[in-house]
Amino acid sequence: MGKTTTIRMLSTLIAPTEGTAEVAGHDLVREPRRIRERIGYVSQAGGVDEYNSARANLTLAARVNGIPRAETASRVDEMLAAFELGDFADRPARTLSGGQKRRVAIALGLVHRPPLLFLDEPTTGLDPQNRANLWDRIRLLRASGTSVLLSTHYLDEADALCDRLAIVDHGVVVAEGTPAELKRQVASDVVTLRLAAADDAASPVEEAAALLEAQPYTREVRADGELLRVYLDDGEHALPSLLRVLEDRSLVIRSIALDRATLDDVFLHKTGRSLRDAA
Amino acid sequence: MLKHTALFLGYELRNTARNPVWPLFGILQPVLYMLMFAPLLANTTPGVPLSETLRQFTPGVMVMIALFGSMFVGFGLIREIRDGVLERLAVSPASRPAIVLGRILRDVIVLVLQALLIAAIGLLMGMRPSAPGLILMIVLMALTGVFASGVSYALALALRDENGLSQILQFFALPLILLTGILLPMSLAPAWMQAVARANPLYYAVEAGRALFTGRLSDGSIVVAFAVMLVLALLALRWSVASMRRLAG
Repeated sequence: MGKTTTIRMLSTLIAPTEGTAEVAGHDLVREPRRIRERIGYVSQAGGVDEYNSARANLTLAARVNGIPRAETASRVDEMLAAFELGDFADRPARTLSGGQKRRVAIALGLVHRPPLLFLDEPTTGLDPQNRANLWDRIRLLRASGTSVLLSTHYLDEADALCDRLAIVDHGVVVAEGTPAELKRQVASDVVTLRLAAADDAASPVEEAAALLEAQPYTREVRADGELLRVYLDDGEHALPSLLRVLEDRSLVIRSIALDRATLDDVFLHKTGRSLRDAA
Repeated sequence: MLKHTALFLGYELRNTARNPVWPLFGILQPVLYMLMFAPLLANTTPGVPLSETLRQFTPGVMVMIALFGSMFVGFGLIREIRDGVLERLAVSPASRPAIVLGRILRDVIVLVLQALLIAAIGLLMGMRPSAPGLILMIVLMALTGVFASGVSYALALALRDENGLSQILQFFALPLILLTGILLPMSLAPAWMQAVARANPLYYAVEAGRALFTGRLSDGSIVVAFAVMLVLALLALRWSVASMRRLAG
């Protein structure tokens, strides 16, 4: 919530009601024109004129962004090649597949080689193959020195692509940092347990939670229905001791899993809700 | 702004030229009016030859295309808003007025080509209009087109909804056309209707068109029509450009 609004504001589409920001070296409120020369913007809608070809779309975008006529054709060819659009460059964009159309949209945002590119949920609605393909392109962009501001509600995407990320919940930034930093704040590992219901004790989950909370290696314990999530730093070494403690109390484990902590865990830690509930 | 207007105009014209079927289809109805309604009209006034009826009727058909051909251009713009095209342009350094002006110019060029086609059909049917009158009529028609396109784009930008736009346009289309006296002369209308017709800018355009076609170039209605349509065209331009600026900042 608030991601798209933030991007629309930073890309000069809507004026902020208060506050200041500097985008690509220029003040957002005073110099939106200078910013527009230095950014590319790819909205969720894409911004492709579906009744025209990728080539025509790109040519107009290049010219409007100030690329001289003499350079335009070669620049457009270059973009078509880079985004593997050559084979259907002259077909009306409405006949392209979702993944191809998304590539046209991103090429449109990049045709004038902006140092900063805004991508609003670029992989929403793409199949896994196209999604992986797009991830590679975004990594290439980053490697070539283009700053990319990307919004997503897939935390694995943020983890895979971002150097810095901010988690926004109900319009408020609840966490900010590198993915590694953020995960370290929670724990590096997480053990997920499912306990068998005991005959006498009212709730084995509560009992186990209290027990594990007291262990020296535990950072945090969260009960989620029948599931118990234990956050700790050195899962491989702590696991035997964790099992022993539960066994001593005759708590029966039905299943157990040890995973690296993910940004989902960060989100849960920061907001008290999983992203699934928040969405 | 001029450079960007030329860019958008070129883009839109190439787009139209790739698919010229639609503008052709668009004038099919006026052509049918020429072929099927004009002879009918001729028979209501015995003694007047078809060529004379056509000189009265053709200017009306031209105003009709100017209105109907341009009134619905806003639908394309709503689709572009939905696809995010305008949003993308808004984030670019594109000149805001040029986004609208390029489109309106395209509409006017298509309109003039349609007008020439209608005039050609009239000529083939035996109509003999005054040559300077015909040229001036095409200019007047272009102004009417700028007005209709401008209003359509401005409404599209304000409503951003196909249903709303189509309701409003439908509501205005019929009275605007009936109260021009294109289909039946306003002299047949009751006094109150004639009074209302004087509030219809298209009425003046049609009156002036008839004067122009019959070569009465000093007729007072011509100056009035040009003045009215010029003012309306400028107002519509201003409104549509302002609406675009509101969307694009």
